[in-house]
Amino acid sequence: MELFPAGTLKAVMATREERSTDAAAGSDPAADGDGAGSVADVPDSGERRRDRRSADVSRSGSEGPEAELPAVAVSGLSKRFGSGPDAVTAVDDVSVEIPQGEIVGLLGPNGAGKTTLIKSILGMVLPDEGSVRLHGIDVREEPRAAYARVDAMLEGARNDYWRLTVRENLRYFAAIGGVDPDSVADRHDRLLDRFGIDSKVDTPVRNLSRGMKQKVSIASVLAGDADVVFLDEPTLGLDVESSRTLQDELRRIAEERGLTVVVSSHDMDVVEAVCDRVLIMSGGRIVADDTVEALLSGSDRHGLRIVSRDIDPALVADLRREFDGVTADTEAGRTRLRVAADTDDLYALMARLRERGVTIDRLDTVEPDLEDVFVELTRDTGEPR
Amino acid sequence: MGREREPGRGSGGPRPAGYYRLARAVLYREAVLFVRYPANAIGGIVIAVFFFGVLFYGGRMVAGRALTDSIEGIIVGYFLWTLSVGAYSAISNDIGSEVQWGTLERHVMTPFGFAPVALLKGLAKVIRTFFTSGIVLGVMLAVTGTTLELNVLTIVFVAGLSITSVLGLGFAAGGITLLYKRIGNWLNLLQFGFVVLVSAPSLDVPWLRVLPLAHGSGLLQRAMLNGTRFWEFPVADLALLVVVAAGYLGAGYLVFQYATRRARRLGVLGDY
Repeated sequence: MELFPAGTLKAVMATREERSTDAAAGSDPAADGDGAGSVADVPDSGERRRDRRSADVSRSGSEGPEAELPAVAVSGLSKRFGSGPDAVTAVDDVSVEIPQGEIVGLLGPNGAGKTTLIKSILGMVLPDEGSVRLHGIDVREEPRAAYARVDAMLEGARNDYWRLTVRENLRYFAAIGGVDPDSVADRHDRLLDRFGIDSKVDTPVRNLSRGMKQKVSIASVLAGDADVVFLDEPTLGLDVESSRTLQDELRRIAEERGLTVVVSSHDMDVVEAVCDRVLIMSGGRIVADDTVEALLSGSDRHGLRIVSRDIDPALVADLRREFDGVTADTEAGRTRLRVAADTDDLYALMARLRERGVTIDRLDTVEPDLEDVFVELTRDTGEPR
Repeated sequence: MGREREPGRGSGGPRPAGYYRLARAVLYREAVLFVRYPANAIGGIVIAVFFFGVLFYGGRMVAGRALTDSIEGIIVGYFLWTLSVGAYSAISNDIGSEVQWGTLERHVMTPFGFAPVALLKGLAKVIRTFFTSGIVLGVMLAVTGTTLELNVLTIVFVAGLSITSVLGLGFAAGGITLLYKRIGNWLNLLQFGFVVLVSAPSLDVPWLRVLPLAHGSGLLQRAMLNGTRFWEFPVADLALLVVVAAGYLGAGYLVFQYATRRARRLGVLGDY
């Protein structure tokens, strides 16, 4: 089955497609976007993803009452570490539901509470308040029943025994996860083949590269019978091709098995490409919860790229004080300035440049990508949108 | 592009694994590591034999015939001590290693329950320890020219129940290791306390028999020195052996559960 027929590959998120106002566009390497060449690589549209999810539920055989239950249901979850004035609220009244078959990206800066949230969902951190249900099973009340439905890769390449071979690891952790290793041997073979490490099945993991170790960990988690999987930084150490393969496999498994996947990653490209939905955390709270498309279209901020011979370091310093996301580099006497700006900022920026007598040689606007949205949402106070 | 669809949950796909499968997996892993990396096991055997050599030859120089006369008892005690050290570290060191390796969380998230899996892994290591301690015992007998009654069934039964109490202590130590990662190394010093327990005069001081190892050590001495079979022991002695083993194992299990829960509360489970 073809997952993404060409006809449906609509470039909904022309994330890095740039619209140049310069008649000489293309002469400046900085203006070269991915363009049409990247269309085949963009993910399916949100509508198609929703169709996929509804199809998943029926295919996975969970058509009973369980199909109506969210795969993950977090309600009013809070966790504080320490006490008194030194107490840190890692997760602050988080509520979220994830339907079966959805691939969700969990983003947030360091210290945002992502890991605590994931570990709380998995029962490895006991929350102070709130509840977590996986397919209707309360993780705190019935951890064993819940663990039959969930698996996680939290330690990346360290998720396996390095002294055992790839095959031994996969079989061991299948058994620990409550699955007869023989019954998932085909899945193991397929995933190892897809990840290009099928020739390493009898190699001790310690002798593999970091990326290969990561692949073994991922294969081990994806091959089991869990129908909710948490992957923390799954692409860490993977090359571009392997990262693409992982994305394909995640989509395939989500479609075929109705697997629900939560991906915590700083790799925005992966999240943008593979996730149906994105949760952005900041200060222990979820500050955004929407589809990638909605997040991108809802952003008022655009990147502006201005090229001029009149922009000097003093002006750049002034602009940095006044505007967000200002970067500049100078080459052959021309300075390329990038500024993240909403409508008001745009007017103010133009006024400032005019005031300083700057002649603009070239002006590009850059559509915001997920990284821009992420920065915008987590830059300020962390207040929810 | 045509793709063969994978069978999903409950449709001829993955089958659930029971405790038998789990036990097989744990034992297989232990066996593989033992065979593939024999240096660790051999190193342990060499060290145990070396210390015994120091004890035997050094003691003979100091105590002369007095030591030679009691060598059978020393060998039995030393054999039980090596078993105890293996049983104690089976869980406590294993948990410390899992934390260090980053594989602990996968054992926490098991539908079998973390504590049963930890116990099973501990038992697998105890089986391995029986094997290595058996070799140490053979070397000790060969070096000293001593003969003992070696009824394997009785030895395994009595020694197994004796070190079950130590397994309980290891369980507790493993739980504490989850809370305080660095304390594991200090807890290993307790192993030297086992020497006292193994040599405790439990026949003369009856209350000592409720301590780990003490009563079992006495029974093992009778089994290996006098040839008493386990069914020939008084029922009360066997019952006490079982109760002490179950008591310490149960207590260790509770401490482990408490420590695990507290580690979850503090958010330090799996931290290193």
